[in-house]
Amino acid sequence: MLYLQILVNGLLLGGLYACIASGFSLVWGVLNVINILHGSFIVIGSYVGLLAHQQFGINPFLTVPVAGLLLYGFGYLLQRGVINRAVGQPVLVTLTLTFGLELLVNNMLIAGFTADYKKVVLENPFGQIELGALFVPVDRLLSMVLALLLTGILYWMLRGSKLGRAIVAVRMDREAAALMGVKVNSIYAVTFGLGALMAGAAGSMMSMIYPISPIISTAYLGKAFVICVMGGLGSVPGAIVGGLALGVIESFGSLFFSAELATTFSFVLLILLLIFRPTGLMGRRGYE
Amino acid sequence: MEDYRVEHRMGLKTRRIVQAALICAVASVGMSAGAVAADKTLKFGAPLPLTGPLSPEGLKQKEGYDLWAEQVNKAGGIKVGGDSYKIEVVYADYQSNTPRAVQLAEKLITADKVNFLFSPFGSGATKAASAVSEKYGIPTIAATASSKAVYDQGYKYLFGTFTPNSTLTTPLTKLVKEKLPAVKRVAILARNDLFPLAIANVMDGSAKGSGLEVVAFEKYAIGTLDHASTLTKLRATKPDWVFATGYTNDLILIREQMRNAGLKVPVVTMIAGPAYKEYAESLGKQAENVTSAAWWHPAVRYSGEDVFGSTEKYNALFEAKYNKVPDYVQASASASGVILQLAIQKAGSVDPKKVRDALAALDAKTFYGPVKFGSDGQITSLDPPVFQIQGGKPVVILPADIKQADLKPVS
Repeated sequence: MLYLQILVNGLLLGGLYACIASGFSLVWGVLNVINILHGSFIVIGSYVGLLAHQQFGINPFLTVPVAGLLLYGFGYLLQRGVINRAVGQPVLVTLTLTFGLELLVNNMLIAGFTADYKKVVLENPFGQIELGALFVPVDRLLSMVLALLLTGILYWMLRGSKLGRAIVAVRMDREAAALMGVKVNSIYAVTFGLGALMAGAAGSMMSMIYPISPIISTAYLGKAFVICVMGGLGSVPGAIVGGLALGVIESFGSLFFSAELATTFSFVLLILLLIFRPTGLMGRRGYE
Repeated sequence: MEDYRVEHRMGLKTRRIVQAALICAVASVGMSAGAVAADKTLKFGAPLPLTGPLSPEGLKQKEGYDLWAEQVNKAGGIKVGGDSYKIEVVYADYQSNTPRAVQLAEKLITADKVNFLFSPFGSGATKAASAVSEKYGIPTIAATASSKAVYDQGYKYLFGTFTPNSTLTTPLTKLVKEKLPAVKRVAILARNDLFPLAIANVMDGSAKGSGLEVVAFEKYAIGTLDHASTLTKLRATKPDWVFATGYTNDLILIREQMRNAGLKVPVVTMIAGPAYKEYAESLGKQAENVTSAAWWHPAVRYSGEDVFGSTEKYNALFEAKYNKVPDYVQASASASGVILQLAIQKAGSVDPKKVRDALAALDAKTFYGPVKFGSDGQITSLDPPVFQIQGGKPVVILPADIKQADLKPVS
């Protein structure tokens, strides 16, 4: 029973991790840009959830689309106006650029919202489902379902829609796609916007699970990074598989070793994975 | 001729404006000269984490220092012999990065020429920076360091306003044993960080010392985003008392996840988050009946010889300036200023060596409580209050003479 509970904990945590990482993975895979801003995007999404709840009493699940669209606009403009100017450059240049933007955005958030921790406190909390000795918190379960749903939609869009095919085409060969009449800059902006949309949606959902503060952004970013490498770059399902794997590994790690060593344990596994399978669990060759 | 031409060119209206401006300028020079008669300035250096992960705490310390400096300057400054000194607190932001705190402490002393220093936040950074102020012989007050490792270095210029960690856990353990004798098994969950781990170790000692059984002692890494599995593991040890340490964000998450994991116990103690109003606001009903302890609480009642006069007056001034209730970090910061001020006045000098000796010999009453330092520089005269969140607010349950309510079980 204990193992089953730990497995459930791991899967629920993994769902949140998938949520944190999916947009980051998309941007890294398609644009070859490591978006250091991703953590702050999630935090902005959380503040949307928090403010809507404080001002109008709206449940943060319902502000998911609002936060997503807002961040889409922000991401689109940022890519169009700023990052596109450096997008063909080596990865270190774009890394420095997004790092600088992160400093800017994060400190603006601190100036605007202060670094004090806040959280959405629901009048009627979702509570948990108790199945015998098994406890399943409902808010995390819903978040996981919604995260998987959003990631599923993204996957379907990339596979089936015209826009999605254009994004994939740009990812495969930028020059060839341009020759075929794809507006590369515009595709980049849309992709970056979609990455920000996923972050905003995740942030809004998590505003009732995690304490909200601009300074939590680095924790999100760190996890997103590990999940992407673990799951494999350039693969949307990779973020889900990587997230779930990390969640389960950490949970069992803290059971068998200790909570203190859970992170160390997951990093050791990550290093082993990189040695034996550098593309990650779901990645394809060429993106490692 | 000259005069006439100028007058003509300027016109009557312009001339009046110029005259008015001149009068104002003369008047203001006169007034400021009156207020700062004979004025010298004393500089107090404060390296603080004003940005980054520790910024909530850094900004609180700043509020405490600012309020003290404002009150002292309003009262005409610090009077030493025939002189009065205005106070200037020189801040330096170390961005929550300890090595940078040490560099900035040195810069404040050597480049900004501060006369006295306030330590950075927390035991770790205070210990690191204390070597610098010791080297230059600058009297330094640590407003937020409690761990023994800070004070057992044999330093002469470092004084701290927090009593040792055991003064928080021992009274609490005694109270729980007395009021809730059915509580026998304690589970400890500690953030693997200097202060949180130190206080968890001290709790381990207090619990064992009073005959309780410590059934689990788990540490979690800094930046942990999930405690579900650890809490499931703790649940399996069937504790009656969960004692969790960390900072506000950790403790909010742990409390929330305790509910999710079905970990229900009669006593939940958390240090050091519940003293901050963010804690109760972020948890709502989940915060109810969580116990904690801190070195100061706005409900304590002391009167003093300092610039604030009494705890009530301090609270009122703080609320008027910041529109919120002070917690122990802000009060301890204000008290640090008060303590240096009293020592300077008793020494009758601003000479660092003489002020240092006055600090070592200080025996004073303040709004913060009685102040007397042990030979290692750590305060010995405080009796830290134990409190519990009741009705969304922290209320004092110990010491008995100032208690506002009795200890209640969580469930």
